[in-house]
Amino acid sequence: MGRLIKAEFRKILTTKLWWALLIPAVGLALGWAWLSAIAFTDVASDITDALDVQNVSDQQLSLSSLALTRAMNFATLFPLVFGALALASEINRKTITTSFLTAPNRASVLGAKAIVYALWGLIYGVIVALAASLGVLIGTGNGALPEAGDWILILLSGVIACVLWTLLGMGVGALLGSPVATLVIVLLYAALVGPTSEFIITLSTEGSHIAGVMPNGSANGLTGSTASELLFDQIQDIFGSQIGPLTDKQIDDFDTVVRIAAGAPGAFSLWVSGLIFLGWTALFFGTGLIRNQRRDIT
Amino acid sequence: MQDGSGRIVVQNLSKNFGNVAAVQNLSFQVEPGSVTGFLGPNGAGKTTTLRMLLGLVTPTAGYTTINGQPFSHLGNPGRVVGAVLEAQGFHPSRTARNHLRVYAAAMGVPDQRADEVLNLVGLGSAGERAAGGFSLGMKQRLALATALLGDPQVLVLDEPANGLDPEGIAWLRTFLKAFASSGRTVLISSHLLAEVEQTIDQVVIISRGQTMYYGMLDELRKSQQSRVIVQPADASKLVTALQEAEITNIQPMPDGKVAVVGATVQQIGDVAAAAGVALYGVHEEKADLEQLFFRLTSGQYAAPGMAPPAVPPGGYAQPGGYAQPVPQQMPQQMPQQGYAQPGYQQQGQQPGYQMPPQGYPQQQPGYQPTQQYSQQYPQGYPQQGYQPQGYAPPGYAPQQGTPPGGWGPPSTPQPAQQTPPGGWGPPSTPQPAQDPTAPPAPPAPPPPPSEQEQQPGQGGTGGNA
Repeated sequence: MGRLIKAEFRKILTTKLWWALLIPAVGLALGWAWLSAIAFTDVASDITDALDVQNVSDQQLSLSSLALTRAMNFATLFPLVFGALALASEINRKTITTSFLTAPNRASVLGAKAIVYALWGLIYGVIVALAASLGVLIGTGNGALPEAGDWILILLSGVIACVLWTLLGMGVGALLGSPVATLVIVLLYAALVGPTSEFIITLSTEGSHIAGVMPNGSANGLTGSTASELLFDQIQDIFGSQIGPLTDKQIDDFDTVVRIAAGAPGAFSLWVSGLIFLGWTALFFGTGLIRNQRRDIT
Repeated sequence: MQDGSGRIVVQNLSKNFGNVAAVQNLSFQVEPGSVTGFLGPNGAGKTTTLRMLLGLVTPTAGYTTINGQPFSHLGNPGRVVGAVLEAQGFHPSRTARNHLRVYAAAMGVPDQRADEVLNLVGLGSAGERAAGGFSLGMKQRLALATALLGDPQVLVLDEPANGLDPEGIAWLRTFLKAFASSGRTVLISSHLLAEVEQTIDQVVIISRGQTMYYGMLDELRKSQQSRVIVQPADASKLVTALQEAEITNIQPMPDGKVAVVGATVQQIGDVAAAAGVALYGVHEEKADLEQLFFRLTSGQYAAPGMAPPAVPPGGYAQPGGYAQPVPQQMPQQMPQQGYAQPGYQQQGQQPGYQMPPQGYPQQQPGYQPTQQYSQQYPQGYPQQGYQPQGYAPPGYAPQQGTPPGGWGPPSTPQPAQQTPPGGWGPPSTPQPAQDPTAPPAPPAPPPPPSEQEQQPGQGGTGGNA
């Protein structure tokens, strides 16, 4: 297995894809975090001004955690693409033939690939997390930053999301065997169909958790739950201290709005979302693996 | 456990792709220390069989083993089997050396082995170039380098000569022979017997997914059917006489001679004497392997109504149905088809790499007269009935006795020189009588079968190389 892992690393490092995807990933994370941190900081101060809160400084409404979350969330598209091409392009370029001929069995090739791509997902995740943090730091300026614990939790969940997205992409690629089809499907789903449908479902079902069960929804829950829970608590504190205890209906509405703002409508909590997304990843990865165990390489 | 023998066993192997039976109940063994040719027309199931052997395709039935084990039980297969397969891929932007280093890592051989095999296949100076910019021949060399990376005991090659230049083919032959003579196993597929004839000891010939012949090449040679070439004074008279003597497998030959199958020289001589036809020359010829191969594998695409497999554009065999089998007569005509084919029609369309460099410039002179000649046959000349009245078309006589200048290129000793018309292989027996009209055969060393005449397999399969 060690030999195959080494071979997989060489496959990645002897081609350009890894940095060709890493550069835009960093750029997007940094830029998005930066710009949205500026915007959210403005909004945060507007809200606190409008509420005319006496005792509450805008320090307590750290909307920039949303910027961090959403930047990480968007940047997961790149490790997703990276993973999607892992096996699909080998099948397409027929290098899979030699890969299978030089390994004890197919499962070991796919296993080594899974390990290596999980590591690369981690590398992507860490670099993207650093870029997003930098962007938020610059963009927030003197505004409110989330506390260190929350910050780290958001980053950590983002990194895990990167790893899982990489593996999910790899599974879809293994299942379809065509890079073009794989890219079209995962990108359309993760960037357009998934978020849109989850938004619509959440609104039309009045904040149910249906969207949070879906692949993209659960992934968003993984990255977005921390920020939305954090904000929800802060908002509840602010309003609670000003207006009095909130009704359950109000709490629910707030919750829905904040989750949508965090890009995770209808999502469960961090851990539940993470587990659901892990399940999806395992499903796609597993079926992709089985498909390739039987595929005739012609 | 592996038995370390290097033996390849294919047992009752079948594979269906949907409704298409690509391979049907195929069995053969490849022994170490020998080069085994795996031959068949395109679409015969060669590649599928090799891929099943290598664990890339799952058989519908039957099994294959290498060293007594299925591929998936070889442990580190790259160290046991090296394979050059058609359509083997390279990442276009990865350099040749990096490509090899990837797989060197996968099979656990030191990185310097990558440079060794690069030099071995003659790509030493191209190691830093991206494989995407390689020519077909260079890619074949790189594929071979990949196969040799693990210093395997068994080498499986699927059409490895595709795209190789003459030098590369010659090198490959030498290499494979040396590889096998060191006690290792080589299985090499091809759709051209000529391409591998000099390399192989044993041969497996398949067609339509079934084994047509499996055994030593020498035994196949011995089983060849011979024919007698007669030059009579009056061809039509002789033919009539022969037919009366119930010798009916007769073909006209381009230069006024007549080829007779299924009769001895003595029988023909007797008939001719009885009929009062003078014979200027009689000799027996053995069909070469290529024709035998063709007979064994032809018909794969010869469904009624389809173009006969033997007829490439502009070929010798084409005009007037002279040498073309009529579809419904296919079965009986197979041997004839085999005779009429070799050589001519191929020359015009063969890519140069399949011939030795000195071979092809000399084809043209010979080719032209042939074509002219055969065009003078009336269209629809009936092949089997051999109607005498159709045999002497206008313009025929002047041709008689004219050496069609091209069979044996006049100068420089080269393999094709002794080749009689029709692309016959060098006769394996001394010819009883030298044909007077035949071109002067310079005292060339008995050559290996020439490249020039060995191509029918391709035309025979509809030219879909």
